[in-house]
Amino acid sequence: MLNRRDFIKWSAAAAAAAPFATPRRLLAATAQEPAAGASAMVVIYLRGGADALHVFAPFKDADYAAVRPTLNLAEGAGLIPLDSMWGMHQALAPLKPLWDAKAFAPIICAGSPHSTRSHFDAQDWMEFAAPGDRTMRDGWLNRYLTVSAKADTSEFRALGMQDLLPRSLRGRHPVLAVPSNLDRNQGEKTLDKFEDFYGDGADLMEGGDSMQGQRDDDETGVVDSGRMTIDTLRRFTEIVYGPVAAPEAGDERLSPRERRRRRLEEERATAAKPANAYPSSQFGRRMSMIAKVLLAGEGLEVAGVDYGGWDDHTNAGSAEGRMPSRLNDLALGIAAFAAELGPVMDTTTVLVMSEFGRTVRENGNGGTDHGHGGAMMLLGGGVKGGQVHGRFDGLASKNLYQGRDLPVTTDFRDVFAAALERSFGFECPKEFFPGHKPSRLKLF
Amino acid sequence: MLSALLALATALPVAQEMNQDAPLSERERAVHLLNRLGFGPAPGEIERVMTMGATAWLDEQLAPAPAQDPRLLAALEKFETLGMSPAGVTQWVYQAYIGKGFNYDSLSQEQQRAVRDRRREPGRELVQSVLFRAALSDRRVEEVMCDFWRNHLNVSFTKGDSIEVQVNDYERMVVQRHALGNFSEMLQASARHPAMLNYLDNSLSRRPPSKQELAEIERNAKRSTGSRERAAEAVEIAAQRGLNENYARELLELHTFGVDNGYDQDDVITLAEALTGWTYEGGNRASQEFAFRPDMHVVGDKRLFGRRFIEDDEGGPGQGEAIIAYLAGHKHTARFVALKLTRYLVADVPPQKLVDEIAKVYQKTDGDVPAMVRAIVNSDEFWKREHFQAKFKTPNEFVISAVRAIGGEISDVRSLQGALIAMNQPPYNCDDPTGWYDTAESWLDPGVLAKRWQFALQLADGKVDGVSIPTTFWQCVPEDAPAETWQHHLTRVILPGGAGERTRAVLASVTSDYLQKHKVADLRELGPQLAGLLLGAPEFQKQ
Repeated sequence: MLNRRDFIKWSAAAAAAAPFATPRRLLAATAQEPAAGASAMVVIYLRGGADALHVFAPFKDADYAAVRPTLNLAEGAGLIPLDSMWGMHQALAPLKPLWDAKAFAPIICAGSPHSTRSHFDAQDWMEFAAPGDRTMRDGWLNRYLTVSAKADTSEFRALGMQDLLPRSLRGRHPVLAVPSNLDRNQGEKTLDKFEDFYGDGADLMEGGDSMQGQRDDDETGVVDSGRMTIDTLRRFTEIVYGPVAAPEAGDERLSPRERRRRRLEEERATAAKPANAYPSSQFGRRMSMIAKVLLAGEGLEVAGVDYGGWDDHTNAGSAEGRMPSRLNDLALGIAAFAAELGPVMDTTTVLVMSEFGRTVRENGNGGTDHGHGGAMMLLGGGVKGGQVHGRFDGLASKNLYQGRDLPVTTDFRDVFAAALERSFGFECPKEFFPGHKPSRLKLF
Repeated sequence: MLSALLALATALPVAQEMNQDAPLSERERAVHLLNRLGFGPAPGEIERVMTMGATAWLDEQLAPAPAQDPRLLAALEKFETLGMSPAGVTQWVYQAYIGKGFNYDSLSQEQQRAVRDRRREPGRELVQSVLFRAALSDRRVEEVMCDFWRNHLNVSFTKGDSIEVQVNDYERMVVQRHALGNFSEMLQASARHPAMLNYLDNSLSRRPPSKQELAEIERNAKRSTGSRERAAEAVEIAAQRGLNENYARELLELHTFGVDNGYDQDDVITLAEALTGWTYEGGNRASQEFAFRPDMHVVGDKRLFGRRFIEDDEGGPGQGEAIIAYLAGHKHTARFVALKLTRYLVADVPPQKLVDEIAKVYQKTDGDVPAMVRAIVNSDEFWKREHFQAKFKTPNEFVISAVRAIGGEISDVRSLQGALIAMNQPPYNCDDPTGWYDTAESWLDPGVLAKRWQFALQLADGKVDGVSIPTTFWQCVPEDAPAETWQHHLTRVILPGGAGERTRAVLASVTSDYLQKHKVADLRELGPQLAGLLLGAPEFQKQ
């Protein structure tokens, strides 16, 4: 899963260079108690390279209309003005209250200094926070978790709210990828059945010898992964769905279809309860689950969730259409999440990113191609919101990257560093970002 | 009876605690071969391979058109759209509504819903046929290689844009036709297939319109709308039309050279220009066939990789074809294909020596797939113990091998399709042009095993609709022997690569618990319990 050698490489480099000289002290120094109450960070990744200029539009720029003849937003035509240069897409209207409350900070011309226009490299390198480095195998959030781990650390420090972890959460620190649509009761029974195969401390040998130490050779990490699955998934389902209901008489005899129908009915009933209007999309459900775990006080620090489908080469849609409806779903999900968290949102940071922005000019198919600089968003307590961050030099060709894309004037790693510091008081040790010393940004 | 038991006892699968250099036994070799080149052994297959020998088995598999399992042929016959061309599928989807002036928008809502539903059908049929083949075909190696190429030259139903009428033909004419053929030909076939042209947008890529063309557009718009503003708008929109780099980039990055390997952004643009005009006749009444449109093409010689590719003087796609042939023959492509193939068939991090060797075979044979497969199987690296039972199965490999392990009788694969959707790997639904990954790093996150366990229990319990364990499977278990013998027997059949100590201990305790609760052991009761646990055991997750 992870490349131990690479991990040691960066953590050793970090230790050697850090003011606190040994790994032990590095751990001790960073594993500080959170300052005021538990803080958390929710990281949302828009996969495919979201068109930053169609999320935030420089509607007062002289060249805007010319480069965006159809994907064009204007006051009264799809745009919510933010300041004298920028507006946001009307689909983000649910986030307007957070903007007004100065809890929403867009950062434009943010991204990676690396020139790649490959989705896959750009995503990997952003999630490893190591542009151009093909040896790094640990995600940046996982590195934070590893360095700051304590002996009695919660199993719920981090969750990937989807079937497979985003790369940012992959690595040495074990993190649960929450399986979606797992049958609640069946799932519980399944975990019980396989506990002996994968779980700890199963005591099967006669004479009570522990099976530990007699584990099968587990070089692929299958057994470890199974153990983690059993340990954390049980607790997760309890938090999110409540304790297992005792099976009703005759329940076993119901047909699978009937059981499914009843379960759906139950879910719908539960979903109808909260006053917060999460969208009924997958993203909405996932944000609502993150909120539940956060509010349960299980020590959740980091949650990651992906949102796919932003590679709008064709027919992105101007005021309405494919991309706007995705944007709206995103905004509704975040807004409902913030509403449900209430005061807890003050110690929570939501970070939204995408691997790159897209070409400044439309491509003539109602879409845009892979570009360079993009946008990031920070929401939550303590952000310097209500203002657009990031230097922007205009859309004239001479100010664009390679004459065609937004330049990168804010390195995404500096945003990561600021978010880690704000959320966890975490000072990135040297070489936490290989070869990059983060600049201090005034984002919080 | 006693002697039979003794024979069984000596043949019990035991965790291999020998050193890493010990060569694989004959039985282990058969297991390994079927694991890596056959989606896992079905009952009886290990013995067959042992009798034939690995070389003869591979010869048989690579020989053209051997007999095919009649159960598979019968299953595939039910699908209406499988053998159809894109035009045929279009006809099939819209047949009830096609007439003069047919227009989707003019249909009633109900009719539109019916069309939409029918549009999904070819995709369902295709995915189901892929699963049927993977589980039942006698052509094991062909199926495995189809899976490999399907992901290497990925197209996906998630694209939308009418791709659903094109992918069935892609599977047949690109993947199946060339899976055991020649990579260069497969690449050319994929490049001009409507499914690929659509999926990666090359069908839209064109040279920007000339001044004359813009003037004409303006005139026409003014005439038809009578509005100067509208005409200006139309010109503005038309002026934006131009190159779409999507396919050119992925052709280099994912299909041939590998990312960042000997090309830059200028090369991507030049390649995209060379491929302008490669499109297809789209629309509900069109032929849906490849078309070269000279009016969309950026005319002129192209310089790429220090070479000059001259313009096709007959106004055809010759320039693009020459470039694709050049890419296919390049040493970067040889190395990239060799890396991916050895990663898929041998190890997540394949031995460099083997990668180099296979790249050489690629270059010597112009990308001959059987030659590369043979070279891998004939290498010492393939048979090293460190690779035996060491590769984490992808969800697809897990599901197919589980069905095969129990000799599953399949009447309907929709629930297998559902299982793969739940495990995030349904065929032809990978939105990313990378195709599905094949390494443990991509699939083994804490949490993923929960769904495999659930599937394992349901499958063994006969609760996966359309898939049943045949009575012949249980007949191979000596029913009059003690329950412990059933347990050993099933372990040997489902985990032919060997079971670890812990797994055996867990099974023994399940068996003894069962015996304590029941006076008479019933194979039909205990058997499925044990089989479900075996399919979910750590050993079954690896191949």
